[in-house]
Amino acid sequence: MAEYRMVEHIPDLIQPEEYERHPEGRLVRISISVDGGGVQVLGDAFRPEVLERLLETLGPDAIEQMLCG
Amino acid sequence: MGMQWTPAVLQRRRHGRVQCLLCPFRCALEDGETGLCGVRRRTGDRLETATFASSVRHWDTVERKPLYHYRPGTPCLTLAAPGCTFACDYCINHRMSQYGREDSVRWDAEPVDAEEVAGEAAARSGCVAISYTEPSLAIELTAALAESGRPLGVDVVWKSNGFLTAEAVDLAARHVAAVNVDVKTLDERDHRDLTGARPGPVLDALTGLRERGVWVEVSTPLIPGLTAGPGTLRPIARALAALDPAIPWHLVRATPAHRRTGHAPTPVADLAAGVRIGREEGLRHVYVERALGAVGRATRCPRCRTTVVARDIWALGENALEDGRCPRCGTAVEGRW
Ligand code: SF4
Repeated sequence: MAEYRMVEHIPDLIQPEEYERHPEGRLVRISISVDGGGVQVLGDAFRPEVLERLLETLGPDAIEQMLCG
Repeated sequence: MGMQWTPAVLQRRRHGRVQCLLCPFRCALEDGETGLCGVRRRTGDRLETATFASSVRHWDTVERKPLYHYRPGTPCLTLAAPGCTFACDYCINHRMSQYGREDSVRWDAEPVDAEEVAGEAAARSGCVAISYTEPSLAIELTAALAESGRPLGVDVVWKSNGFLTAEAVDLAARHVAAVNVDVKTLDERDHRDLTGARPGPVLDALTGLRERGVWVEVSTPLIPGLTAGPGTLRPIARALAALDPAIPWHLVRATPAHRRTGHAPTPVADLAAGVRIGREEGLRHVYVERALGAVGRATRCPRCRTTVVARDIWALGENALEDGRCPRCGTAVEGRW
């Protein structure tokens, strides 16, 4: 299972103006980038559990997450 | 590094046991037993804590705690010792907060050098926050950080569940400058369902902290189907207004997380309705961080409604207050500016 690392900052991919367009909270947005260090998958979702399941399926070494508060 | 147990405060002998006086569970421990929180234990005649340690060392702003009326824009060096006195099923931070309660959560904290942390915060004219997990469980670390920070002008602030005994409130008030307390609901059954504990001590603690001079703000998560409706929000707003209409009230959008995943995120309409309820009950400052845009985050003069503090997401926009007063009509706005 991937190790979760708590980090200071992760950029948002979903903006507050979009909340009302997705009342059921089904929106997931993914950005994939490749550089010399490998592939980075950045995700944002209204339902964190959905995003976590998705990222875990990709089998990464680590999943970075922001904390609340 | 593994857990390190250091001496804990707030204990007494009772009927051959050592009783912990930090939270209202008041665990009475046999030798070798660990309390319900999983981070305080009895060894011989003494109480020990594992919380002189932190899993993170993050810089963020005081607006993220959220504290809106306490030194806006102040950078916070934020620490978190694993552990919580609550077992909230919706906790986004469960991978740290539920240490000692869920076997899957591992200990990943490192011991803290309080002087060094206070020095780092001072170098950025910041404060030290204890957040993400339950800071009252780190009362000894809080005291050490406050003592190291005092000569440097570095305050300690908390984001807390407010589940403290009167003894703990007394001690915390000596060391904590500002705290955001979560008031999730005043309904006995809903609160127990959500957290595993009673709500009464939370209101008592926030009252006690205020009376002792700590700047207090309140957050309420609006969980659809549970705490997002007027049946939950109105009694909270009424209780806060009875205490002091100037207490800032933050309405927090809930996203399905941890074990509570069967609901949609809080509708924007529910957050807007919560703001109306807060105002109807007499609260002067009701905030929503994102869903209502910049208007939801702005502080307005309670008399002439001029925007006196504008905020971006998790950041100060502009602070127009002059010595804590509205620049237009001169009315004092409550806070630690
Ligand atoms: S802080 Fe921990 S040990 Fe102390 S009373 Fe509460 S649950 Fe028990």
